[in-house]
Amino acid sequence: MRAIADTMLLTRRALREAIRQPGNEIANAFIPIFFYVVTIGAIGDVAKEAFNVADYKGFQLPVAILQGAAGISSGAGLAMTLDIQSGYFEKLLLTSTPRFAIVLGRMFGDAIKSMILTIVIIVLALAVGSGFETGPVGVIALVLAAGLFALAYSGMGMAIALKTGSPQAAQAGFILFFPLLFLAPTFAPLDVFADWLAAIARVNPITYLLDGMRVLIVSGWDGLALLKGAAAIAGIGIVTFTMTGLAMRGRAS
Amino acid sequence: MRAIYAEKLVKHFGPEIRAVDGIDLDVPQGQVFGFLGQNGSGKTTTVRMLTTLLRPTSGRAEVAGIDVFAHPAAVRKKVGVALQEVGLDELQTGRELLTLQARLFGLPARDARTRVEELLEVVTLSDAADRPLKGYSGGMKRRLDLACALVHRPEVVFLDEPTTGLDPITREAVWRYVQDLNTRLGVTFFLTTQYLEEADRLTQNIAIMDAGRIVASGSPAELKATISSDAISLKFAGGTSALQQAEATLRRFEGAEDVRVTGDEAILYIRDGASAVAQIVRALDDEGLPIASLQLTQATLDDVFLRATGHHLEAEERAKSLQEGKS
Repeated sequence: MRAIADTMLLTRRALREAIRQPGNEIANAFIPIFFYVVTIGAIGDVAKEAFNVADYKGFQLPVAILQGAAGISSGAGLAMTLDIQSGYFEKLLLTSTPRFAIVLGRMFGDAIKSMILTIVIIVLALAVGSGFETGPVGVIALVLAAGLFALAYSGMGMAIALKTGSPQAAQAGFILFFPLLFLAPTFAPLDVFADWLAAIARVNPITYLLDGMRVLIVSGWDGLALLKGAAAIAGIGIVTFTMTGLAMRGRAS
Repeated sequence: MRAIYAEKLVKHFGPEIRAVDGIDLDVPQGQVFGFLGQNGSGKTTTVRMLTTLLRPTSGRAEVAGIDVFAHPAAVRKKVGVALQEVGLDELQTGRELLTLQARLFGLPARDARTRVEELLEVVTLSDAADRPLKGYSGGMKRRLDLACALVHRPEVVFLDEPTTGLDPITREAVWRYVQDLNTRLGVTFFLTTQYLEEADRLTQNIAIMDAGRIVASGSPAELKATISSDAISLKFAGGTSALQQAEATLRRFEGAEDVRVTGDEAILYIRDGASAVAQIVRALDDEGLPIASLQLTQATLDDVFLRATGHHLEAEERAKSLQEGKS
């Protein structure tokens, strides 16, 4: 109970920081919204003939959501490096709170911010004519999936931050996301990919995450796709949380 | 009961740097213990080990009766720490930061609110409590940091140079608060300092660190008593060569216990200094060594420090602080 209460206190602190630095959050929202609008403007009209995708606005919606979540979740690592550099991290280490609460507080903060941004992006997509096959329950599922992905992915920047203490290195978490995103069916379905690219995409967890999110928007409930999407988030989470745990142990001892 | 105990405590950073090289400490409960030393002498490394921030290379330590390295989480509940570098989150207000700190030490919300108000009053930050910390002066941040160290009513408080950078009025307030907590509630303080006046006034016992080792320890009175002589400080117009020549002359003086040359002055430790002054002036004059200034004092902690380490503490540390302030 104590660990949960402390995590919530530190999450509140992370959210308070976001409110006091609105410029950062506006920048986090701008990138995915800009790419979403530009991509559907450039490819939306030819997607039906080119890739047999009727609702390209819906097809692109998970890409914008993941971009937004990855951008925000890199913030946890960056903020952690600032705490390390200012000495506040040590002040937190000297309290009797469990060490993992110090890390999780920031990561949950990013997850909540990602869910808020996801809602904004969904509203925008619906406003420009995207469909949403699974209705309000599907919207809730998509928002939760974005939050869980942000939580899992924030472990990447957090691990780098704890290991290096460097703000520049911590931002690499976001940069690493781009190869993962572009080696997945981001702009077109997997069946139009060259064989070599399709082979890479099939071992990329982002592929299954995009598929799981897309079924909610464009084709309706599909248990297997959703399960694979959930497994992808869990897989990313296991890797990043393990890295974070090891990095925390190294820094705090 | 012991508040702090350390046995053969060692911390090496690689094979070259022996930051702490086998120190023993035994601080009884309810004492204000002073830990003196220059920058790099190993004071802060010792504090970091005793407060669970750093694992030792070898040795053992107990704080509040708990093994520091076997049960660090239990130790953290019992200790308050204000480190040399004030680490605060500048986006929070003073009240928010102190409240969060209290809650993370397990204080229920209502108790935390009461405690925070009480401490803000003590460190005279009530008026600024709802302002973000980025607008606080260095002194205000240090006072808030001190409040953070005390928020959970710890049994043992580690203060790493707590008054460095504070103005004299705030420094006096901090001293009074430390004395009050110590005498009224029996809180043990482990205080590293570069101010000998601070050590002399607050502490019941001190240890002097030099190059990772404790080179002298005892109460300030005991340590000063080890120098039973007076100190005659002399400066010369003739520069380094005059100083070296004067040192040799002073050493030959009957009753001279020690001569230390530091910076541009020579200090002669001698019994009944007042009677010897006239002879010293004559002897130096005979040698053709013109005295620029002469001061006769009783032994101070600075003399103890000089005897133990070969250098002054205050002059060098203050010069460094001034230099840092300028840059």
